[in-house]
Amino acid sequence: MAGEGLQFPTGKKIFVTARPFIIALWLSFLFLPFKGIRASLIFFFCSSIILFSFRYVSGFKKMFSGMTQSIRIKTRSSAFFSGRFPVVFRYSAAVFLLAFPLISRDYFIDIAVLAGIYIILALGLNVVVGFTGLLNLGFVAFYAIGAYAYALLNTRFGLDFWTALPFSVGLTVIAGFLLAIPALRLRGDYLAIVTLGFGEIVRLILNNWDSLTRGPNGISGIAPPEIMAVSLGKLSHYYYLVLVFVFLTVITTKRVYSSRIGRAWVSIREDEIASSAMGINTTVYKLYAFAFGAFWAGLAGAVFAGKMQFVSPESFTFMESVLILCMVILGGLGSIAGVVIGSLILVLLPEVLREVQLYRMLALGAGLVLLMVFRPQGLFGGKGVFIRN
Amino acid sequence: MLELIDIHTFYGPVEALRGVTFEVRQGEVVCLIGNNGAGKSTALMTISGIMRPAAGDIFFEGISIKGVSPHRILRMGISQVPEGRRIFPKLTVRENLEMGAYSGRGNAASLLEKVYTLFPVLKERHKQAGGTLSGGEQQMLAIGRALMSSPKLLLLDEPSLGLAPIVTSKIFRTIREINREGVTVLLVEQNARAALKLSERGYVLENGSVSLHGRGEDLLNNELVRKAYLGE
Repeated sequence: MAGEGLQFPTGKKIFVTARPFIIALWLSFLFLPFKGIRASLIFFFCSSIILFSFRYVSGFKKMFSGMTQSIRIKTRSSAFFSGRFPVVFRYSAAVFLLAFPLISRDYFIDIAVLAGIYIILALGLNVVVGFTGLLNLGFVAFYAIGAYAYALLNTRFGLDFWTALPFSVGLTVIAGFLLAIPALRLRGDYLAIVTLGFGEIVRLILNNWDSLTRGPNGISGIAPPEIMAVSLGKLSHYYYLVLVFVFLTVITTKRVYSSRIGRAWVSIREDEIASSAMGINTTVYKLYAFAFGAFWAGLAGAVFAGKMQFVSPESFTFMESVLILCMVILGGLGSIAGVVIGSLILVLLPEVLREVQLYRMLALGAGLVLLMVFRPQGLFGGKGVFIRN
Repeated sequence: MLELIDIHTFYGPVEALRGVTFEVRQGEVVCLIGNNGAGKSTALMTISGIMRPAAGDIFFEGISIKGVSPHRILRMGISQVPEGRRIFPKLTVRENLEMGAYSGRGNAASLLEKVYTLFPVLKERHKQAGGTLSGGEQQMLAIGRALMSSPKLLLLDEPSLGLAPIVTSKIFRTIREINREGVTVLLVEQNARAALKLSERGYVLENGSVSLHGRGEDLLNNELVRKAYLGE
């Protein structure tokens, strides 16, 4: 169906020819309020010429399709750990990841740590949205609960990171169950609205429960994690911690995905009635999905609180939920490698575009719209989760 | 084997089943016929646990299964082929069948062989995505998938839906064959003639309750049935 790369499903030729112009028109239309008609027109001409010429640059398309193909194979065989991906590449990637803090500036390490936290979050949300097909617009609530739980346990009771971690993650999982109870009765749009409400409720509680959370002032002075009495306050140390957690998340979600539970999730996504006719306890597995997703959000929250050494409700707005959802959708619903790449793109892109400060969110938005029009399954999403040829 | 006693089922405020009572005996093929909205599919969904009855009781092999969740009912040996087939279109034929064995009743490998002998075309196409099969093949896949849980009682909801007459008769022959191997069948059909010919006994549902029942042949010759459901 819609899975044919950059082709329109209907294959209407006129659209294919006109596509660069449509894209250029759309981009220049967005520029209109900023720069006026003349600049927009110039922009329209330039960008349509550039986009149009892409079609005739020999090899460009081939390169592009080759690239997506190799990535698709990677997604399918979970190549990073199995043998299909070139060994040299795997080892050099591993070496690069390990050596990264030694060769780069703090600024980049900081971004990498942030990207790592978002990867954990996006993979968690991917379980709920990508695997099980339940739209969750309030995912940030779990992130907030994890972060605040660690912040409070640390500042009030003096628990260190490793002691507090099981509690804060456990609390988040319980919150996941609590949200799942009303959510299980709902489907589609209604579910989305309930989860959205949940996200807002949690943020408002954090904002207004002054005696516990100190309201909008937030909680400061949170201790960073320690390993054998060595504080991980240094960025590069923190980088390794996050790297370990990211790998843990990737491996665990992958394993669970290919287990009996993962099968049940996917089958609920594909057809809920058929799944219950197959003897899948849909209630229980939806509950698992919520709780399992919340688990990673709680972990990411605690890691985030430890890194910033400060939490406030500002970090957990609805926009944050949307951003995480965008990462999942951009990379490809249900594809683990895709979600990782999607989060990397959405964390790195604003940094890369910092030069054009004013327009970066605009460019991001326009990019997402174009992606949804021309590649609705996401950058690296396949036909579905069961990708077979 | 299966007994429904005065079952009432609601969709919100709408009462779809108003006191349905019928039974299916071991080894039988029984059909429910009736017009659109008479409650045939609701009756099946109530048996398989997807819908919960508000009143009445359902017994399967002497045990009440009223209000039991669908996955438990399946484990007890009642398997449903849902209306409109509802196969997983993105999964291959084989994966679809494997999903049918999810409940872990019986040995999946030998059941798969059995389904393949029953429907050779599924074996031919085992690597093909379910959604690319023809309507008849999809129906075979849906039936095969339901058989993968090695059921004692098979619930079939409109197996002839949207199929050409020649394919329908093929499906019906297979249902007969499945029944001969010891699976009791409860069939819901719009195609009353074919269903009654196949069945030992039939029930006519009207406005949510049983208005008529009897042996398949008797119903075929019944004046009322001939007029209302056979178009004569």
